[in-house]
Amino acid sequence: MNDGRPAIEVRDVVKTFDGGIIRALAGASLDVGRGEFVAIVGPSGCGKSTLLHLIAALDRPDAGTIRVNEHVLGSDRDLSHFRAYDVGLIFQLHNLLATLSASENVQVPMFETSRSAGQRRARASDLLSLVGLKGKDRNTPTKLSGGERQRVAIARALANDPSILLADEPTGSLDSAAGKVILDLLERLRTERGLTIVMVTHDPGVAARADRIVRMLDGRVADAGTPRERAAAPSAAAAPSDHREASDTMEAAPG
Amino acid sequence: MTFMALILKNLVRQRMRTALTVLGISVGITTVVALGVVLSGVRQTASAVLRAYDSDFIVAQKGSSDLTFSIVTEDEVEALRRRDDVADAVGALFHVSRVGGNPFFVMIGVEAEDIVDQGPQITEGRRIQPGADDEAMIGSRAASTLDLDVGGTLETEERDFTVVGIYKADNIWEDNGAYAALDVVQEIAGKPNAVTAVYVKVAQGEDPDAVADRIEDEHRGLTSISSVDEYSEVDQGIEIMDAMNLAISALAVGIGAIGVMNTMIMSVFERTREIGILRAVGWRGSRIVRMILGESLLLCGVAAVFGSALGVLASRMVLLIPTVRSLLEPQYEAQVFVRALVVALIVAIVGAVYPAVRAVRLTPMEALRHE
Repeated sequence: MNDGRPAIEVRDVVKTFDGGIIRALAGASLDVGRGEFVAIVGPSGCGKSTLLHLIAALDRPDAGTIRVNEHVLGSDRDLSHFRAYDVGLIFQLHNLLATLSASENVQVPMFETSRSAGQRRARASDLLSLVGLKGKDRNTPTKLSGGERQRVAIARALANDPSILLADEPTGSLDSAAGKVILDLLERLRTERGLTIVMVTHDPGVAARADRIVRMLDGRVADAGTPRERAAAPSAAAAPSDHREASDTMEAAPG
Repeated sequence: MTFMALILKNLVRQRMRTALTVLGISVGITTVVALGVVLSGVRQTASAVLRAYDSDFIVAQKGSSDLTFSIVTEDEVEALRRRDDVADAVGALFHVSRVGGNPFFVMIGVEAEDIVDQGPQITEGRRIQPGADDEAMIGSRAASTLDLDVGGTLETEERDFTVVGIYKADNIWEDNGAYAALDVVQEIAGKPNAVTAVYVKVAQGEDPDAVADRIEDEHRGLTSISSVDEYSEVDQGIEIMDAMNLAISALAVGIGAIGVMNTMIMSVFERTREIGILRAVGWRGSRIVRMILGESLLLCGVAAVFGSALGVLASRMVLLIPTVRSLLEPQYEAQVFVRALVVALIVAIVGAVYPAVRAVRLTPMEALRHE
């Protein structure tokens, strides 16, 4: 659906934790165009992961609005349908179900569709081939490398053909070679499928693969620009320190 | 992968816990089934006793705690027999004594004329003759247990009888006992001119219920019993067993539900993060509930089957005790197994509700942050 609006509109979003003690987002606003690849960077605790989680409807904002495609997330009662069909999520630590095979992990989101078991299995096989894991359908996560697990997670994110991929430190737990494979894959998917991609990262090298880099600070978007603009801007000097600080992923405290 | 396969995988990954939970519920189901099977046997026997002599109902002393304690005088039997609305009334005296290894051997005393006319079906020998005080007819099971044939001697604690016939009765109580002349049984029981119960056949065209009501109105000390459910009027045994069965079923539900709830809570708690992943990839809360309920139902379904099989086995093992074997014959009625299934179903639902509610109340993010 393209009505001229951005794929994602975030307006003055506030999110606190622990009864307001931790203010993760303090009026963050952000637009992401359709088909755009945006990287969100910033120091630990700046709110970048929290923002991604709110866009993914994993949590609700305290104030402000988030519109993704035609959904105004704050007002939709049942967000399951949105999570199943509109966005695909990729986590830093892949978050695969350990007892299920690669194919079964990819099939999990499809339970909410009308596909039969056979159709689910066939689609999972196609998606695993798409991410370069042909023939590894039956492997459980323990029998896959870190990069392969992340590719299974990408295949799972694509299960119900979402128009948006949300990636939280997708290369954060991988070596550089495996990380490059994942980034190449994300870029290819974006080109071939016209996906909108929002990626949280602490790695400037990874962020440089995006169309636009959004820098967050103290729960707000501080500035944004293309990788070339960011490299030329004085604030780019902050990047190494961003890198130095640990990222705030889903495994850590609210970011 | 089907949804059912996913549910099965969730259970199989904690094999020991799943097995122990199934075993715990099975013990409850075993008790429900074993007791139900035994109770069905008792009710079947009681029902067969009521239907003896082609009667419409029996009349016994009101307020007896056990049918064998009931005393109805021969005058009362005669009064019932003379009524216009009664076609026939047969008085029977039940006397329990030890014979061989059976402490619950029932001697049934009935007027020899009544035995000749309406007694049990003779398979060997003949019926006892009027005036023959030393003759007895013995049930086929008793004959087999005591290794007695026609012409043999039945030795009771009080006196000996010559076995003149062997009969086949459709209830184990009668088939494990013997018939003798009423006055003889009255003498050895120390109950002269008395019977335990009167088998009443109403006159043609009469309504048995109406006749029973009239008899109760006119004989304040007597009560009529036409069904097993009315047995409590003269025998609290079945009522007590019914109450025990209900109490044990309730206990099985309570203990089973706590066990299942414990297992499901632990399972859900351990998988909180996984449930967060499922919610994050679009699973609705209702699907999470169905998954948890499905696991619980599968646990309890397996326990119902396993427990029922153990219950049948237990009832068979109880029959290895000779005294029990002489008293009851288990009845494997469908309703006993349906009850076990209902108990398992209640356990499954009650045990899954709280864990399921807890699982879906968390937001996906709260669940994902769970360590």
